[in-house]
Amino acid sequence: MTERERGGAGHPRRRGQGELEGQVLAVLRPAPGPVNAGWVQERLGGGLAYTTVITILTRLLAKGAVSRERAGRSFLWTATADEAGLAALRMRRVLDGEADRKAVLASFVTALPPGDERLLRELLAQAGDEAED
Amino acid sequence: MGLFVLLPLVLPLSAWPVARLAEQHLHPRTATRLLSAVAGVLAVCSTLCLGLLVVVGTAQLPGNPLPDGWSDPEVRAAVPYDEVAGKLAIPALLAVLAAGARTAWRHAAVRRRAGRALASLPDRPVAVLPDPEPYAYALPGGRRGGGRVVVTAGMLAGLEPAERRALFAHERAHLRGRHHRYLLTVSLAAGANPFLRPLRTAVAYTAERWADEDAAAAVGSRRVVARAIGRAALVTRGAPPPGLAGFAAAGPVPRRVAALLAPAPAARSWPPLSTTAGLAAWGAAAGTTASALSSANSAVTLFQILRAATPL
Repeated sequence: MTERERGGAGHPRRRGQGELEGQVLAVLRPAPGPVNAGWVQERLGGGLAYTTVITILTRLLAKGAVSRERAGRSFLWTATADEAGLAALRMRRVLDGEADRKAVLASFVTALPPGDERLLRELLAQAGDEAED
Repeated sequence: MGLFVLLPLVLPLSAWPVARLAEQHLHPRTATRLLSAVAGVLAVCSTLCLGLLVVVGTAQLPGNPLPDGWSDPEVRAAVPYDEVAGKLAIPALLAVLAAGARTAWRHAAVRRRAGRALASLPDRPVAVLPDPEPYAYALPGGRRGGGRVVVTAGMLAGLEPAERRALFAHERAHLRGRHHRYLLTVSLAAGANPFLRPLRTAVAYTAERWADEDAAAAVGSRRVVARAIGRAALVTRGAPPPGLAGFAAAGPVPRRVAALLAPAPAARSWPPLSTTAGLAAWGAAAGTTASALSSANSAVTLFQILRAATPL
């Protein structure tokens, strides 16, 4: 794990995908209007490659956190997610990354094995019927 | 000392039927506390005995830093099968310590990262995230120390208003009861002795049941909580965790719903021996006491032998 974190040419520590997405969104949010990727790259600092910034923006677009419009040969980007949206992205990142988060965070429900779904629907029907009595 | 030193290593096996009985017959609050305490004591005893075996095992190795007297025949005679048991104990103890450190580190890391992810949001007891993925968590700690309920818009959209209240009541019950401490205890115990793993599964279930019962009391309807759990599970429906899908027995969610549709469990704290619940409670107490006594016995005996063998 330490090797993975320290890897990446030229960077003291390679930043995780989620962290970069958060940073890009944080730069994009206070922007005066739609801006291009170069504007984002300039304000990000940290020597990120232009293509990396484009990749992150595209990823954020897929998640619905940014929108873009064509302007000549390039795109102009706008943040659509607010602080809460950003927090949601970060939280998803935490949950996806931890295989045994079960041991730490008590989830409201756990995933249903196939057979359980039918059983659960029967129980729910029972709960609904009794409620109407 | 004899075989007694090995007893705490295998006594956790006695917790299996106890976990099963407690899960089914005790009030979930009692079951969670009892099983966590049993798991904790059994894990400490098991690790202590492993430590004693390691002392004997290490003393056999050439070039060890322990006093020469510790490898004397009378010390080795105190441990059955000392050649094998002593040497096997060394990697076993290392594995136990590594597992414990890993569990504790992960626990802290998840809480820290989750706290950081939500740091930019206003400091309120509930954080609603605009995420279509349905999930809800009780996140302990935080700036106010009271913890935070994290729920997504996707989860709330799948529930009716009364069911949402049930969900919040359930998560608040986790935070108020500090259920994460029980979960951490049994996770650490399961790392210390693999025989304690069924207790981890049992406590994960009883802690949910405990929060369910508290939620039912808070919203005043067991049926509403049952419906909330059922619907939440149906909207969450994803890939089942590996290792669970193949089992024929019903998973935790239908059992929780069924338990809520049944009458409320009696809130007696310590049931009489004549009942199944009493059998579970007394069985757990007996097994734990036996384990504690035999590891205390082993520790004292070995300590005396080692002191006698140490040249002054």
